[in-house]
Amino acid sequence: MKKKGSNIKLFIIGLIVFIIFIFPLYWMLVTALKTQVEIFQIPTPLWPKDLTFDAFAAQLSVSGKTLQGFKNSLIIACGSTIIATVLAIPAAYGLARFRFSGRKVLILYFLMTQMLPSTLLLTSLYIMFSKAGLLNTYWAPILADATLGIPFSIIILRTYFLSIPKELDEAARIDGCSSVTSFTKVIFPIAKPGVIVAAVFSFVYAWGDLIYGITFITDPNMRPITSSIYDYVQQYQTLWNSTMAFGIVAIFPVVLIFIFMQKYIVSGLTNGAVKA
Amino acid sequence: MKKKNSPALGRVGLLFALPAVLYMMIFVVYPMFQNFILSFKNVDVYTFANPAKQEAVGFANYIELFTGKDGILGKAIINTLIFTVVSIFFQFFIGFGLALLFSKKFRGSAFFRGVTMISWLLPVTVAGLLFKFMFASKGGIVNQLFMSLHLIDQPLEWLLEPGLAMTAIVVANIWIGIPFNMMLLITGLTTIPEEIYESSRLDGASKIQTLFQITIPMIKPAIMSVLTLGFVYTFKVFDLVWVMTKGGPINATELVSTYAYQLSFEQFQFSKGAAAANILFLILFAVGIFYIKLINDEEEVM
Repeated sequence: MKKKGSNIKLFIIGLIVFIIFIFPLYWMLVTALKTQVEIFQIPTPLWPKDLTFDAFAAQLSVSGKTLQGFKNSLIIACGSTIIATVLAIPAAYGLARFRFSGRKVLILYFLMTQMLPSTLLLTSLYIMFSKAGLLNTYWAPILADATLGIPFSIIILRTYFLSIPKELDEAARIDGCSSVTSFTKVIFPIAKPGVIVAAVFSFVYAWGDLIYGITFITDPNMRPITSSIYDYVQQYQTLWNSTMAFGIVAIFPVVLIFIFMQKYIVSGLTNGAVKA
Repeated sequence: MKKKNSPALGRVGLLFALPAVLYMMIFVVYPMFQNFILSFKNVDVYTFANPAKQEAVGFANYIELFTGKDGILGKAIINTLIFTVVSIFFQFFIGFGLALLFSKKFRGSAFFRGVTMISWLLPVTVAGLLFKFMFASKGGIVNQLFMSLHLIDQPLEWLLEPGLAMTAIVVANIWIGIPFNMMLLITGLTTIPEEIYESSRLDGASKIQTLFQITIPMIKPAIMSVLTLGFVYTFKVFDLVWVMTKGGPINATELVSTYAYQLSFEQFQFSKGAAAANILFLILFAVGIFYIKLINDEEEVM
């Protein structure tokens, strides 16, 4: 009996925490559905009394920069996810399965690169990309964003490969597979969930990037969505309903990923940071 | 103990890792090295396109950033420390409280815990704008809340007054960082076997005693990871502050990262920006070494 009582108490505390925590997101949504008049009313209503989809309609119209930014971000984030994942899978496998001198140094190398601030690389990357003629192309942010995903992917994938019994590789090799085919035919299919986590994180990192986008791309039609929403706010300071509608479009893929892959994401976060 | 791979097979492992190693060499290590050199030169908007005029100036950039009349690097470092320490303090204690709460099994526990994760995944730019709106002097919900509670009678200019602006960015950063602290601590908590709790209960230990004498010592490694990683991630925050205050008002929220960006890409003083970024790196490097030593010690135990 006592247990049940404390269960309800915990539920209520949990619920309150949940409400406080989720409030900013709720506020973003209701603001996007309000009129400007309601937003500046005192006291402002806690839900839209005069519900309007105008802000969303304006953001989603074909002429707007929002969808263009969305498309640009999609190209950039997918590009850098592909690079990061393709490079991280074999690297993580190599670091998990083979013992060679310098293996530990390489693991530390990836750990350290994960901690570097973007500002440290930014100026030199800018000069490098400017010399290579890559400024104002999707390549500049794609190549730079991949550096965020690679170390993280290697670290989580390595722990994933470590958890796969070594006997599987050995059996494959006895059956005549080379290192490469035992990797592609046997290990890779088992490691698929780990690969998905790594790819999701690379995508989320690249999608959320602001600094590389605003620095390497100045052409407004090429800018990723985080940069274009930043420009939008500079221009329309207090047009909050439109800004919030823009924000919702910008977080849409991340929320979608979150809903469908929550379990993977949690395991990825904890594996990547704790076990290293 | 199984026999180790032969050296030839070991080299295959290196080959697997090589493409990623090279990629990071080109796009991380090389720029880092270039940045280091750049900080000892005089590259700015005038000499950028003209390498002949670029020359070595020794530590001049660093000295000027610290002591020059426009140099505010010292202030930026102090701001960054305040921002980081206050953020981590609250993130950690709230995250720890939530970890204790959500590691218990009750109706809705998994759902509530899962949803609080989302603030960590959102693009920081959007989270920053959201908080900029909530702290807006007109139409902002924070002012409305405080006024209806009679804590203030005039709307506050949160983002335009130095002390308040720092509070606003710290609050936003805490909201973003709590899930990270919570998840890592929950993972730590799940490693404590239930029997230990049971035996301490049988010994008549109070809940507080259990917390301080069993729970905290047992998850010490997780606590240390959270704090050091949290320090590194918070110390280099850029987007949140850039979106909310751009370092203003009057440099009150200027962090080392935003200052470095400002120097390089608003004033086009590339060498000075590089020097500021190097100082940021040095501080992070020191903490990073500490973190790596930490997980190395742990691995040896395992």
